[in-house]
Amino acid sequence: MAEIIVVTSGKGGVGKTTTSASIASGLARRDKRVAVIDFDIGLRNLDLIMGCERRVVYDFVNVIQGDCTLKQALIKDKRLDNLHLLAASQTRDKDALTEEGVSRVLDELGASGFDYIICDSPAGIEKGAHLAMYFADQAVVVVNPEVSSVRDSDRILGLLASKTKRAKQGNGKVTEHLLLTRYNPLRVAKGEMLSVDDVQEILGLDVVGVIPESPEVLAASNAGVPVIMNNESDAALAYQDAVDRLLGEEKPMRFTEAPKRGMFARMFGG
Amino acid sequence: MSSQAVLNLKSPAGKNSAPMVDKPQAPIDIRFGQLGVLQLRFRTLDPGVILDELRGRFSSAPQFFRRAAVCIDLLTVKPFPDVDALRAIMDAVSRTGMIPIGLAGEATAVEPLAIAVNLPVLSTLRTNTRPGPALEPVQPEREPQTEVEAASLVQPATDTTEMRDSTALLHTQMVRSGQRVYARHRDLIVSAGVASGSEVMADGCVHVYGSLRGRAIAGTRGDTSARIFCQEFRAELVSIAGVFRIFETIPADLSGKPVQVWLDGEKLHCTRIGT
Repeated sequence: MAEIIVVTSGKGGVGKTTTSASIASGLARRDKRVAVIDFDIGLRNLDLIMGCERRVVYDFVNVIQGDCTLKQALIKDKRLDNLHLLAASQTRDKDALTEEGVSRVLDELGASGFDYIICDSPAGIEKGAHLAMYFADQAVVVVNPEVSSVRDSDRILGLLASKTKRAKQGNGKVTEHLLLTRYNPLRVAKGEMLSVDDVQEILGLDVVGVIPESPEVLAASNAGVPVIMNNESDAALAYQDAVDRLLGEEKPMRFTEAPKRGMFARMFGG
Repeated sequence: MSSQAVLNLKSPAGKNSAPMVDKPQAPIDIRFGQLGVLQLRFRTLDPGVILDELRGRFSSAPQFFRRAAVCIDLLTVKPFPDVDALRAIMDAVSRTGMIPIGLAGEATAVEPLAIAVNLPVLSTLRTNTRPGPALEPVQPEREPQTEVEAASLVQPATDTTEMRDSTALLHTQMVRSGQRVYARHRDLIVSAGVASGSEVMADGCVHVYGSLRGRAIAGTRGDTSARIFCQEFRAELVSIAGVFRIFETIPADLSGKPVQVWLDGEKLHCTRIGT
């Protein structure tokens, strides 16, 4: 059976879709067969981040409603052969998703030999977000180092523990991972941002990765390339570490300390 | 709690609606909803006493009870009211801003009254048959104000005749924002943290062995000897038997420290433990 991982956060704009694209690509680079599904019906974005927006013919809602087969709707990634995308519908609303429909698509994906199914959740705690997390085995909760994001993530963690299929059937709990994005050690040092330790303490969970704030992330999104594919940037390396940790490897945290400032910089500020 | 059919009316699709409406949807969805309803149990028929008591009780949070749906419970009232007496009670309740939506009590006795005042009998209400001491005239059920996580709101299935159960309710999971944990008739022990935006409540004492960042409410039913204990104090609000204190900023000598909260008369004390 495929392992279902939901990428969620509660709050919008914290980096769910960026993270979904990078984790999916990262797992595919580790030779896993990966399908990534955009659950944000009506505000479809994942196809843009993955750079395949012009190849979307059929979408998730079409599959659920039987307008096409799953195979017709899956878009093969142009860089990685074992990565497939199921795009969201831009023209429908979230009521087009049903529990039975989502369940059927996930089962079919599992039966066709995928190792991982990544569910990119919409923001909020409404139907789309609920269905994205409902069938999950694991959850990556994306959080920014600021209080409102942390509170929303806390709420989502509560829902993961009570409103998912696993929780309702008493079938073990959803494995929770915390991913801290937009982290800026300099601003943490100045006391403007919550630190990794603060977030871990408030949420009572260890982080699976810390992605530094980086202009590369925006540039990669606009170019339609998941940021993890850019081997030069810190953010890409941090995502690669996070994927390795998701696969059970031990890796030291990088990019969480402010770089030491030289004598010159300290004397003249900057 | 009462079960109530919820009618969700949807307008039928008009002639000009888009042809891509996929499945015709039924004009009415009928389903059972679990709604929290405030229950007023009377031990007097005097509308003046009722009005004074309700106004006094709710003076600290009048907005909270404004237009709140209430069920009028006649199980313990003596003598049993006639229609006029019931109308007087309903009038007193309405004047506090609350809205009576149904009656409860012994079905055979309440039914004729219910027909006379055109209110339903909410017969599925769990009624506590223990006649309470005469000193507590009104025993309103706490009404869940926000969405309640089914998994987190823990209530024993039946009311016990004892005020306190012998064992405390143990909660080992972190209490997340938006969740509520309530220990009815007993103490509550949370062995993990209590996040900001969550609530832990007990009729007895509340013990938190992680950090307490949310709200802690002890002595929910008026036990003034109940206390709150926590390992790491960062609470938003603490309350004992209705006396509460909000912490906009936490005093430096308490922040992050082991703290206990107790009630001395009308004064709430928060002090370090073990100093």
